[in-house]
Amino acid sequence: MPVLIHRTLPFFLFAATASSRDDVPNFSRDILPLISDNCLACHGPDESHRKADLRLDTREGATALNDGVAAIVPGKPQESELLKRLLSNDPDEVMPPPEAHKKKLTAEQIELITSWIEAGAPWGKHWAFEKPQREAQLPVSADNPIDAFVLARLKAENLAPSPEAPRHTLARRAAFDLTGLPPAAEVLAAFEKDATPGAYVRYVDQLLASPHFGERMAMWWLDAARYADTDGFQADSNRTNWPWRDYVVDAFNTNKPFDQFTIEQFAGDLLPDATPEQKVATCFHRNHMTNGEGGRDPEESRVDYVIDRVNTTGTLWLGLTLGCTQCHSHKFDPISHSDYYSLTAFFNSIDEDGRAGNDAKPYLSYKSPLAARAVQEAQLLVNERKPREVAARKAAETPFAGWLDARWAEVREGFTAWHPVIVSELESIEGTELTQTPDGTVLAGGPNPRHDDYRLAAPVKLPRITGLKLEVLPHASNTGGALARGSSGEFILTDIKVQVRRRGSSQIRDITVSGAVADASAEQKGARDYGDIKGVLDDDPRNGWTTKGLDPKKPYSAVFEFEEPLVLDADEELVFEMRQRSTSGDANIGCFRVSVTDQAGEAVRSIEVAPLERLANAKLSDLSQLDAKLCAKLFEQFLADHEPYQIERSSWDRATRQLNEVKKSAGALNVMVLAGRKEPRETHVLIRGVWDKKGEKVGPGVPPAVAPWPENQDKTRAGLARWLVSRENPLTARVIVNHLWQMCFGAGLVRTPDDFGLQGERPTHPELLDWLAVEFMESGWDVKHILKLIVTSATYRQSSSVTPAMLARDPENRLLARASRFRLPSWMLRDAALANAGLLNPALGGPPVKPYQPDGVWEEMFMGRFRYEPSEGAAQYRRTLYAFWRRAIAPTFLFDNAQRRVCEVGNARTNTPLHALTLLNDAGYLEASRALAAHSLRATDPLREMTRRVLGREPTAQESTVLQRERDRALSHYRSHPDDAAKFLAIGQMPPDSTLNAAELAAHTTVASLILNLDETITHE
Amino acid sequence: MNDPLQSTRRYFLGQCTGVSLGAMALSSLLGGSAGATTESADATGLPGFPHFAPKAKRVIFLTQSGGPSQIELFDEKPGLAKWAGIELPDSVRQGQRLTTMTSSQKQLIMPARTKFERCGKSGATIGEWLPHLRGIADDLCFIKSMQTDEINHAPAMTKFLTGHQLPGRPSMGAWMSYGLGSTNRNLPDFLVLISKLQRPSDQPLYDHYWGSGFLPSRYQGVKLRNAKDPVLYLRDPDGLPRELRRGMLDGLGELNQMRLAETGDPEIATRIRQYEMAYRMQSSVPELTDLSDEPDSTFALYGPDSRRPGSYAANCILARRLAERGVRFIQLFHPDWDHHSRLPSWCVARCRDTDQPSTALIKDLKQRGLLDDTLVIWGGEFGRGVAGQGKWDSLEAGRDHHPRCFTMWMAGGGVKPGTTYGATDDFSYNVAENPVHVRDLHATVMRLLGIDHERFTFRSQGLDFRLTGVEKANVVKGILA
Repeated sequence: MPVLIHRTLPFFLFAATASSRDDVPNFSRDILPLISDNCLACHGPDESHRKADLRLDTREGATALNDGVAAIVPGKPQESELLKRLLSNDPDEVMPPPEAHKKKLTAEQIELITSWIEAGAPWGKHWAFEKPQREAQLPVSADNPIDAFVLARLKAENLAPSPEAPRHTLARRAAFDLTGLPPAAEVLAAFEKDATPGAYVRYVDQLLASPHFGERMAMWWLDAARYADTDGFQADSNRTNWPWRDYVVDAFNTNKPFDQFTIEQFAGDLLPDATPEQKVATCFHRNHMTNGEGGRDPEESRVDYVIDRVNTTGTLWLGLTLGCTQCHSHKFDPISHSDYYSLTAFFNSIDEDGRAGNDAKPYLSYKSPLAARAVQEAQLLVNERKPREVAARKAAETPFAGWLDARWAEVREGFTAWHPVIVSELESIEGTELTQTPDGTVLAGGPNPRHDDYRLAAPVKLPRITGLKLEVLPHASNTGGALARGSSGEFILTDIKVQVRRRGSSQIRDITVSGAVADASAEQKGARDYGDIKGVLDDDPRNGWTTKGLDPKKPYSAVFEFEEPLVLDADEELVFEMRQRSTSGDANIGCFRVSVTDQAGEAVRSIEVAPLERLANAKLSDLSQLDAKLCAKLFEQFLADHEPYQIERSSWDRATRQLNEVKKSAGALNVMVLAGRKEPRETHVLIRGVWDKKGEKVGPGVPPAVAPWPENQDKTRAGLARWLVSRENPLTARVIVNHLWQMCFGAGLVRTPDDFGLQGERPTHPELLDWLAVEFMESGWDVKHILKLIVTSATYRQSSSVTPAMLARDPENRLLARASRFRLPSWMLRDAALANAGLLNPALGGPPVKPYQPDGVWEEMFMGRFRYEPSEGAAQYRRTLYAFWRRAIAPTFLFDNAQRRVCEVGNARTNTPLHALTLLNDAGYLEASRALAAHSLRATDPLREMTRRVLGREPTAQESTVLQRERDRALSHYRSHPDDAAKFLAIGQMPPDSTLNAAELAAHTTVASLILNLDETITHE
Repeated sequence: MNDPLQSTRRYFLGQCTGVSLGAMALSSLLGGSAGATTESADATGLPGFPHFAPKAKRVIFLTQSGGPSQIELFDEKPGLAKWAGIELPDSVRQGQRLTTMTSSQKQLIMPARTKFERCGKSGATIGEWLPHLRGIADDLCFIKSMQTDEINHAPAMTKFLTGHQLPGRPSMGAWMSYGLGSTNRNLPDFLVLISKLQRPSDQPLYDHYWGSGFLPSRYQGVKLRNAKDPVLYLRDPDGLPRELRRGMLDGLGELNQMRLAETGDPEIATRIRQYEMAYRMQSSVPELTDLSDEPDSTFALYGPDSRRPGSYAANCILARRLAERGVRFIQLFHPDWDHHSRLPSWCVARCRDTDQPSTALIKDLKQRGLLDDTLVIWGGEFGRGVAGQGKWDSLEAGRDHHPRCFTMWMAGGGVKPGTTYGATDDFSYNVAENPVHVRDLHATVMRLLGIDHERFTFRSQGLDFRLTGVEKANVVKGILA
């Protein structure tokens, strides 16, 4: 259910709270929200948009005489202009005005305002700007103070709490909340057996002590901190800030007090004798996107970064929408335009210049202690695969000898690698007349347009096509007997296309050309110029192949290698297109020939004579005379086609590439950090938020309405951090405990975790929120302590089942008469699938990894500039926390996750067919299904074992019937279709367990996938 | 797709007392064959929407990313010839910002590299690089006075499509599918198609261009890829035949139904429906993207490139097929219009990719009677400047970004055909009459779809957001039919 769409508190709850306590409405609870929502956009703190010179956000403003009338006359509702306007039927008089498209206030709301004015219009502060206080006395007695507040509220509502959830449910719930993983089977079994008092608390302690606790908390923090492994924007270059991620994991695991955690991330560099880790901590404020777009003014970008830091601070610590005040004073909250820029002053003198990529200074040169493990892991994989490659090469020698004998016998009478194509169709787009002679040469005649595309189609008799050769030939009919028909006689070929068309079919398909070499080309001046043959492989007409400046009376050749050998059906034809669309034009080729070959390897990667052709030309009387070099080339050519070898070779190549990549991460890394520049910058208010429209000068400072700045505190980043976590600050502790609550209940006590201001929602349990906030501060900002309080409360331990009556009464569970039931975040789903399947690699930290993604998602976004190669071996099975995060395209297997572009703390949860498809068909989930099935097949009752592992409980008889039916259905299919079983089991990189019966394994894999897709599996129950 | 909250409530109130799942699955299979436009009860937009009778039921937005040059393509300025190579007067430039690519060079005027023709009865001016479009000038409505505030690609495109220069707001298509709901229960309401070009992209097309921002993510555009999986994860794995998938989903549905009975959580009912929708998409999407049932005449109309899957031309055919199936918002992206150099080859190449297919799409919609209620929009995030970038008198020269004026065209769905609206000064530099800001465009598109942009808001972070933002936006009445 999308939490985002229903933010307004149902009215009956307001009404209940207002009337149940006393008769005078509470200003902050009942009146201010109405004023804020309906009036402040035009009559609030923002002086630039204020209408009729009236402000209703202060008592002075609201009661001031204006043309003889006052909006509010305390004690006298009849004389208060405000009420007249609210009640008016005159479209020119009524407030809010019709053009605001606001709903008219309800009778109950007007009644509230009336009785409030009658009572003298007592003013107050918005609740969140009052310091949290707690009474010594709890409202009712309870073992856990949380329950006291919840029970008191339930009592007032005449409701009773739900019974405790079943043990396995509770165990799963707490394990997900505290570690992001399901409980291990042994741990769960031990807990279920433990009937002694305190069993649950001990279970919780065990979870809190797990190193996975830090990982779970880090995912929360990384989402909010907009952490990513790339810059974002146009270039989206990689960065190496992941040591900061490991700092975060460690901070939570060691239960670093949250105030210290804050100070280090704002100002670790300013601490006395700062450790490298404390400096790394400041990367928090460098996790924003950086823009390297050509043509962009770096200063504009730098200003953006400063603003991003302030907005992030506002959202994550203060729960305030400070971003609104970038352009004007806040319309609702007491934060002015200049308050905002005073905050920017803390971040304005970082020694940065707005650049991106490798120029995003300041950096800390840092070596991660966690890289060595990853290198070792990658090295082990190479060590394991290299001997297999060597063995496969050795094993190929015998078939090679046979192949060579056979080839030699064939080629003794002569051999040609290249076969000119004889066209079935020859056309040009702009009118050049093309004709082919019997030797395959094509001659251009007739009109000579500025640009032209030549297109030829030809049937090809070869068993396959591995590449294509283009010869550009001098001819008497060309200008000066040279190569082309334009004034200079020089040609420019801008692009080529290779395609296949089928007779009778409407569509053609593109053949990917992976390489191009030419025997000669003109020297090229820049990337966008003519010369190099590789320029014909993109769709850019500003580059391409020419031999301009070389002898124009000689023939020239180019060879193109296909990415994969092409096998044509009898009714298919090869299509070759030559585009000549250069900037100057007038350079169309006059005479050329196209040939194809079926030779692999060397023959299509080089312009040299193909190895077999050389063998033929060598005219040996005996193979023993074969030159060793040519023999080696022939062996390479053989290997290029020898699949058993290619499998091992590419497996080793992938592992080697991974090792090389990981090794880089073991050296000194540039981590983006905060560091002040020598000369501080002046800070100005930016008029309307525009980066170069400087207004009045401001110094560092904080919004006084939030909390005063302590005397004698330095106005530095460290000072700002201390102000955030000071006892005087009414917001930070509330905002953070609200996040912790949200983790465990799916929604915060304040349902707008990013907005504690006037337009945000009020807490469902204000006294509870305040109690927790004070407890958080008094405990020394102890995160584990607060989480333990929450998860050991009876409130948390309730069952999440709901009756229709209760659902109708409290659909969003604001009263907490039950535990919340909600879908787990997608990252936990992946981690849980790996854990349940026994695949999870539990290593902590280190360089990012690449879980499976469908082919081509990076490539299509960047037109091939970035390639995604899934991690190999153990690195594939790491937790999602470590997945490489490319900002332009976030990991595809996640949904509803923060996008990591700007700070996001909401928790969107939607329910769409695309999510279903991900869980059904993602390679990671399928491989986990297969591993889960393989594991379960060793148990006596595999279906029961799978259910137990994933759900932590026995299947019911009814459930078993369904599972058995689906298993049997699949089994009968796979028994009669062994090919399907083999294909289905081939998913993922880990070979299926060959000791198991393939049909059995395939059938159980479908059931495992079913179980991983169950609503119960993917839900926090 | 229903609003999840409404549908779960409806389900909970009406059905959860025990409709057998087999029956549900069966009805979902029978309900509406793939491809049929089903204006059914499922078309649930927001209450009270549309505000007025819509002129257009759907939008095809032909987004030309990078900033096509209005000076070469549409905005003829014959007077520029005498200014060739002369510095742009300050009186015209009026302090306009430049990108750092040209801010250090003199702004020397480069007249258009093309010849213009007055086309059709309406006499629209169209450059020679768009020969096909010239033939349908009388079906088009040109806005020559478009304006934006942004001079760099990502912020400008973000504003063009979401109303704000920073990522995080919902895109137009997301707003429309949120407000108006769906008319096809087998396909998403908002689909995105991106042309395949073999060229390292200078401007990646970020997914926030079709993102849902603070709206629920089910309103975000779904990208149809030119790949084995047109939608990510659409294809079942090899070796898992369709009947096993069906059986597995039946089993899954039954077990989920038991859980619903156990827990009472209506979200489970929604989940069951979403899995069924996923199953239907597995056949409706491939059926949609398979063009083999198109006759040769279609490919003749859209041009030879249309036979190549992933090309802009093939995507134009897909756009028409999506319109036929009632998809609400169809957005094509053609990248690589950022022509800082070599206009005579580079710009021509992108014109060739798009000219015939864009023209064919209008003709095709018209001949099928779909143009009347389909709004087609063509344009990019900004225009290009009158000064040459690089040596103005060489073939090497291109043009820098220009936000102060650019040209777009629209057709169909309630816009006046054969019109040119707005005008620029003699330099195609400033708007001389009837300025149309990007937010005015948004207001106008919404009006054509029957929405009053001022009454279409969504509350996030305590504020009521709208696509047109906080500044006054005007419906461009002058282009309404």
